[in-house]
Amino acid sequence: MTNIWLLVGIGSGIISLGTALYLYYWVMRQDAGSKRAQEVASWIKEGAASYLKRLYTALTLVAVVLGLIIAIVFSFDLNQLGTGSMDIQPSNGLIMAAAFVFGSVSSAVAGFLGMSIAVQANVRSAIAVSDSINKGFRVAFYAGAVMGLAMVGLAVVGMCTIYYLTGDPGVVLGFSFGASTLALLAKAGGGIYTKTADIAADLVGKIEVGIPEDDPRNPAVVADNVGDNVGDVAGMGADIFDSYVASTVAAMLLGAAMTGPDSLKYTIFPMILCILGIYASLIGIQFVRVGKNGKPGKALNFGTVITCIIFGAMITVLVLAGGYDLSTLWSTLVGLIVGVVVGFTTEYFTSEEYKPVKETARVSDSGAAITIITGFSYGLLSIIPSVIGVVIATLVSFYVSEASGVVSGIYGIGISAVGMLAISGMIVSSDAYGPIVDNARGIAEMAGMDHSVIEKADVLDSAGNTAKAITKGFAISAAALTVLALFAAYSEIIEAHGISIEISLRSPMVIAGVFLGAMAPPIFSALTMLSVTHNAFDMIKEIRRQFKEEPGILAGKVKPDYTTCVSLAAEGALSSLVLPAFLAVILPLLVGFVLGPDALGGFLGGAIFTGVIFALLMSNAGGLWDNAKKFIETGKFGGVGSEAHKASVVGDTVGDPFKDTAGPSLNTLITVMSLVSSLFAPVIAAFHIF
Amino acid sequence: MTVHLYLSLIPEALIASMLSPEEFGAYYAVGTQKKSRGQAIFFEIDPKFRSDFFHIREGMKRCIPHEDGLPKASIYISVYRVLENIPMEAIQCMYLTTQDGRTLGLDKSTQFPEEAGGLHLYREVSPVSPLVVSSLGPKEFYELIVKNPISLVKLPAVCFTELRLDNLADDPQNGEVGDLPYKNVEHLRSCLISLKNKSAMTKMVDRMPCNSIPFRTVKNGFFVGNQKKMLFFPLPDEKELVNKNYQWWRSATM
Repeated sequence: MTNIWLLVGIGSGIISLGTALYLYYWVMRQDAGSKRAQEVASWIKEGAASYLKRLYTALTLVAVVLGLIIAIVFSFDLNQLGTGSMDIQPSNGLIMAAAFVFGSVSSAVAGFLGMSIAVQANVRSAIAVSDSINKGFRVAFYAGAVMGLAMVGLAVVGMCTIYYLTGDPGVVLGFSFGASTLALLAKAGGGIYTKTADIAADLVGKIEVGIPEDDPRNPAVVADNVGDNVGDVAGMGADIFDSYVASTVAAMLLGAAMTGPDSLKYTIFPMILCILGIYASLIGIQFVRVGKNGKPGKALNFGTVITCIIFGAMITVLVLAGGYDLSTLWSTLVGLIVGVVVGFTTEYFTSEEYKPVKETARVSDSGAAITIITGFSYGLLSIIPSVIGVVIATLVSFYVSEASGVVSGIYGIGISAVGMLAISGMIVSSDAYGPIVDNARGIAEMAGMDHSVIEKADVLDSAGNTAKAITKGFAISAAALTVLALFAAYSEIIEAHGISIEISLRSPMVIAGVFLGAMAPPIFSALTMLSVTHNAFDMIKEIRRQFKEEPGILAGKVKPDYTTCVSLAAEGALSSLVLPAFLAVILPLLVGFVLGPDALGGFLGGAIFTGVIFALLMSNAGGLWDNAKKFIETGKFGGVGSEAHKASVVGDTVGDPFKDTAGPSLNTLITVMSLVSSLFAPVIAAFHIF
Repeated sequence: MTVHLYLSLIPEALIASMLSPEEFGAYYAVGTQKKSRGQAIFFEIDPKFRSDFFHIREGMKRCIPHEDGLPKASIYISVYRVLENIPMEAIQCMYLTTQDGRTLGLDKSTQFPEEAGGLHLYREVSPVSPLVVSSLGPKEFYELIVKNPISLVKLPAVCFTELRLDNLADDPQNGEVGDLPYKNVEHLRSCLISLKNKSAMTKMVDRMPCNSIPFRTVKNGFFVGNQKKMLFFPLPDEKELVNKNYQWWRSATM
């Protein structure tokens, strides 16, 4: 039966990939517009391609080096650690390394597909929206669905294939580590790239020279539009890919750790949830439609809710008909419901329809300092629903599972995380829609399309911003539950090697670990944000140079040199990744090898808690400042150019690296640290100084 | 190539140029090799206009293409007391150029805006440029400072615009603050309140405001007049600007 489910999984993944491919060609068949529109789109396409080439070259190097290390370490029979003898089985190392590389490649392919279609769909959406909002919406959403469906398809095919071939969830952990390592680099790199370009373009273009947003005279305008794709399509896609795989693997490991005849049944149960999630997303996507006078935001939300209901019904049938313990149903449902509720409560703090954004906009006429204080305070308050949601999901799934007497409480938490992420196909489709319509608006502006087109593109763009905010809340909460499950998996692996692990705050080693772990997310945030300011400084100098040396640029007579700014952003982003990546991979290993497994347990705990808090605060505060500015731009509190607007622009600029660079990378950071700890747990169990 | 005659208001100058108004505005605002920068407001003057006060013929004669065939961008004829020495009849169109070089042309209107009551905020453009509040409507304000001054202060000619006060026009004490062209709102309130309480009809708010004019806050257009006559150049409403002059409107609302 297990093998049948795995084959069904591989088949379902292929169906998902096939649908993604079908939608890809559907989008490509849409009108690509005038010569001018295509020319503008080609600048963005070329910029994106040049960044991806650099990123994947760097990632290949990272994958080869880490793959070699993994191949060597896992060639030793780690079960013999401490026995005095050690067999060498190179095939084990090679299998783990292959799984790692497979995970990296799958994540890269998902990101590449998403980017490829996004840079083709942007211009087509801009052209389609000139006919109607509905048409523009369909092009952008189906292009987003290419990313969503490709991502879940590749993940499920990858996990099922590896488990089918090896029968060892530990090897799937290698696949997950590969995906997460790439995700961290893609997300952080994309985040640094996008905000470098955005901030530099705004500071020189808008403030110094006085040209509007998306003006083709700005040398950084193409880099800015490329950044939307590399940050929000490739970056966010890789991020959710990593959480999706990590949560499934964590639950599989916890299922495999259970004793008794049903262990195998519950080991593959998380993968069955992913399979059902694929079909729920495929059906849910069909419901996402904007009527003649419909609203894109409502259509996206409706699609998410319908997908949840379908998935809930499917899982109920599976549990009842498949003889699974009822606790798995409750754990899945609580994860699913909490995920959606947390996503939508994020909207409360970041949407201009509610008090936090309105209040921040209102106080902006008192100056930037008050805007920052108000937005930051609401950002702090915004952690409440997510944290309470995670607490509820943790407690309910744990105690319901414990009470069942069939599965462990911690397995329930793992299932809850999978339940939250199972509908990722739909969630990523909505998320990837955002940057596509953002680009569509930019292209409409740069290509000099009619104002009515820009107005309609604005309607699509506004829905995209809300979808992005919801996805971020969802991704962070899901990552929190995932790492809790990985944390438990880490303890299980350590104990499986005969070492009892005691993570108590009475232990000085654990306390040391907690402090070191708590320090990691703030340091990571600082490093990535300093990279943004450093790289933006270089790009500002380049933009100023171009305006100074070629006055024809500002007069609109000479085309700026877009390529140099694109290259600066790409090179800056990639070179800035070295230190944060080192922190993510080496720091947990250092703590483990030096201070021991207990301290590493404390380290993960500390990192998880501050990571989740920082991620929520930065993502939501950044989104809030952004929307407060947009709210003022609708004419409220003085409108564009007013003192309130100037203060809100400062808030937005501060919030940019918060919400698009550091904040969303933190969940990937804590996942990578948890995965590297779990993967190397057997080695750490045997070799540690204290 | 046609030689145009332009009256620039910031700074005040009479210029001969082979550039069209749009090209001249962009040249003036975003500069060329000479690196001049900033918003531009200018009138096109009847090219047949001649005056003993200016050496127009000489200027026009010097306005010839460059050796490479490019049109001559500017020949400065005068930079002093220009506005007062140009009759209103010679003024043709008015042009507003944004800081990034987008130009909007305004035609003169025979109809002046209706007096809406309440208090007013005026920004003088030339020859002086203070920010002033007044209880007088635009026409009375022009009469007070140009035609029939009741104090020693008198201008030979003036170009000014009325900026939006929104709710403060009727309720300076408690009116909700909108998009104002002046940072110190409390000072503005107190100036407006003093107009209500005292017999003075005008009060200076800012002697030396920022050199550029926030076009987005212009209430209804620009007024220009001398001892004999006043002209009005209405600014289209926002809807019309968005639909017909989108690029200019975007830059003007920056």
